[in-house]
Amino acid sequence: MSTAATTHRRVPFAEAVRHRKLANGVRLYVLENHFNPTLALSGTLCAGRIFAPAERRLIASLTAGELMKGTAKRTKLQLAEDLESRAASLSFASDASDPVGVDISGGCLSRDSALLFDALIEILRSPTFPEDELEREKKRLVGSIRQQQDQTSARAFEEAMRRIYPPAHPLHRNTGPERIARVESLRREDLETFYRDRYGAASLILVVVGDVDAERVLDALERGVSDWAPGPEPVIPPADPPPASPGTFTVRMSDKASADVVLAAPSDLRRTHPDYLATSIANSALGQSSLTSRLGVRVRDTEGLTYGIHSSFGATQVAGPFLISVTVKPEMRDAAVASTLDEAAKFLREGISARELDEEKSSRSGRFQVDLGSNAGIAQALDAAVSYGFGVSYLDEFPAKVAAITKEAADEAFRRRVRVEDLTIVSAGSFAA
Amino acid sequence: MNEAVQPKPDSRHAAPAGDAFELVKEKAGFREFRMLANGLRVLLLPNRVAPVTTFAIVYHVGSRNEAVGFTGATHLLEHLMFKGTPEFQRSKGTAVAAVLEALGARFNATTWFDRTNYYETLPSSALEVAVRIEASRMRGALLRDEDRVPEMTVVRNEFERGENSPFQVLYKHTFATAFREHPYHHPTIGWRSDIEEVSTARLREFYETFYHPNNATAMVIGDFDEEPTLALLARYFGPIPGSDQPIPRVYTVEPPQEGERRFVVRRAGQIAWCAMSWRTVEARHSDTPALAVLGNVLGGGITSRLHQALVEKTLALSVSVVPWQLRDPALFSIFAPVRPGVEPSEIESVVRREIARISSDGVTEAECLKARTQIEAEVVFDRDSTDQIAASLSEAIAVADWEWYADYPAAIRAVTPEDVQRVVLTYLHDDALTAGLFLPKPGAETEAAGGEEAEEA
Repeated sequence: MSTAATTHRRVPFAEAVRHRKLANGVRLYVLENHFNPTLALSGTLCAGRIFAPAERRLIASLTAGELMKGTAKRTKLQLAEDLESRAASLSFASDASDPVGVDISGGCLSRDSALLFDALIEILRSPTFPEDELEREKKRLVGSIRQQQDQTSARAFEEAMRRIYPPAHPLHRNTGPERIARVESLRREDLETFYRDRYGAASLILVVVGDVDAERVLDALERGVSDWAPGPEPVIPPADPPPASPGTFTVRMSDKASADVVLAAPSDLRRTHPDYLATSIANSALGQSSLTSRLGVRVRDTEGLTYGIHSSFGATQVAGPFLISVTVKPEMRDAAVASTLDEAAKFLREGISARELDEEKSSRSGRFQVDLGSNAGIAQALDAAVSYGFGVSYLDEFPAKVAAITKEAADEAFRRRVRVEDLTIVSAGSFAA
Repeated sequence: MNEAVQPKPDSRHAAPAGDAFELVKEKAGFREFRMLANGLRVLLLPNRVAPVTTFAIVYHVGSRNEAVGFTGATHLLEHLMFKGTPEFQRSKGTAVAAVLEALGARFNATTWFDRTNYYETLPSSALEVAVRIEASRMRGALLRDEDRVPEMTVVRNEFERGENSPFQVLYKHTFATAFREHPYHHPTIGWRSDIEEVSTARLREFYETFYHPNNATAMVIGDFDEEPTLALLARYFGPIPGSDQPIPRVYTVEPPQEGERRFVVRRAGQIAWCAMSWRTVEARHSDTPALAVLGNVLGGGITSRLHQALVEKTLALSVSVVPWQLRDPALFSIFAPVRPGVEPSEIESVVRREIARISSDGVTEAECLKARTQIEAEVVFDRDSTDQIAASLSEAIAVADWEWYADYPAAIRAVTPEDVQRVVLTYLHDDALTAGLFLPKPGAETEAAGGEEAEEA
């Protein structure tokens, strides 16, 4: 069997991937890859925090997290026993980094595919949200929030997102105590209502890659979900980026040997924006790698101020922030921030060099190939391509899209979105008052 | 990318690589070769899951080979290995990381108790670049003082980040308490003052002692053909001579522990942590598979005994069970962050009760089967990606040898419920216990989850 993923004589993904769109909207994709007796599952469903009321965004993550706590047929423990005894895995998660989607992922030995698909369908279609499980999860969650409050990275990020996005925006983060109060006020009915209103076939995408018979997998999944009610159309509510509100903030914590600094501003970059790749290539030159990007070469390699420095765009189907994060010994914070701002300003003035552009382009294409080196990697790439509306052929077209990016396009796209004076600077750590 | 590092057609690919190597052994798809000129071991495993290949090299040197004054030297040296060689350096536009980044490679290096490993996963057509880089830095690292000075503070920040984590603090204290004579006593990152003060000359001495082909294993995993790959390795590693001196061995043995040991760390924090560890055996020991199965019975997934007894009962936020597998006798550890409001000592009581249950009643055949299935499946899942195989194989080579990895599934399959009960009775007793607590310091950050309100500067 020869597929896109498995030989040099590559069959395009667009030809090798079998797919079906069901009447209720479910989209199914399967790629056969017979080198190893395993399969990987990846999927998406539009039930993230953007669909929850602004005051109670965490209903979305809790609903996704509680799906596996019991179904009409099996208790949590029975489900776990059935999956774990066959070394199969399955998870549903929705976190703040993607306000739109619930991520579904799983894997098993290919002999156990029926077990995995049965559990998947049963959990999606008949969760019971048992009261005692929710109460237990609330206690655990309160402890986890407190655990996060102890991490300089979490505190700096949370404070930055709280400052740059207003409370009604889905990327706004509440403080730890606010989140704890909201967790404690949640009731089972909240999850049931959110599940009833948001979960359904219309936005469901499932991708399976591995040692399977594609037609049989498509048949099995179709049998499982074809009579599921469509539910709401996946229309994403608007969440425009607010204007920048620069400022400097410090979160003081005790006994922390290393501090975290986050420099952040809202941007209009969505993953689906035509400028996405050009902006992202420019960002890579500035700060994708602690070892080779401009920020890394200056602040880590030359000045030795940090172990890690990165810049990124949090782009999903919702426009996310531009972020630079750096860890630093508290006494070296000011030097690290000054160098970071200076290097970012220089990059904005000069733009990407011809050599950087070549290297970032070849890097991006090479990395794409490397990331497609496993069933799970291919499944995630397909899932993303389909859920962003690019289609399966995006995997085939990606290298050409990267190759077409010019210096002018990269510079213009980046300059349009990043201004040093817009950045809100938050430090979390043990700083003298 | 720079012309100097473009893969070039191998002019010698017609030369029979067989002249340079002897085939040592063949098993489970692996072929082990030895380079005749210098003793470099080479391991090949074709895995054509994608047009991707992983090249990795493991040096048999880790923090186990260090002593006071130069703890952390192995790791610091690993960092300096990215600063360049005559051929690959930033001033020539050919920095190791830049060259690899431009290929889209997934690459890094890591240091651990028993080994240092360097790896590159890249499009298979670019394998030669990885081989050239690793050959170049095996003997050609520049190790300049002007590179060490800024890199020292980079590594110190890595150390500081570790100190922020209660888990890492607990694990460092656990090893420092359980091992008093053997070098597993000190953490791989090193002690802070050693990181700051160790000289470039001392690092060079360390490099000259341990970085030789006869102290390394190179592996190629993925999409490649054997003959041209061996020719490639012969071309770049062949000219490197073996070491003049034998590689020094570690002869320090930790004597038996004669009574339980306890420690407490008090620092600012929100959450208490509990750790319990018992002295066990080296990875090659015949009880290692049973200890691995025990680890899974206690901590593998929602259905495991400690998850049920601690997390489901809302005493702990999570629990991790680690049956450490190292070259010399190591530990069997349990770590758990304690849910606020729960007395940390309650965690220890529950763990003791669960261990006592296994001591007296054993484990069921079903539990044992589930654990074996999960561990065996991990080996199958490894094969989904070349870098995952390389990572697992590197650990195996560091603590035993590659055959240990190849034989591991069969060894796990042979574990019986009686074996699991026997290792509990043999190792998990109080004389071999090191128990530690991380306790949030009273007075610091007592606000529920809030700490201080952020202030505007």
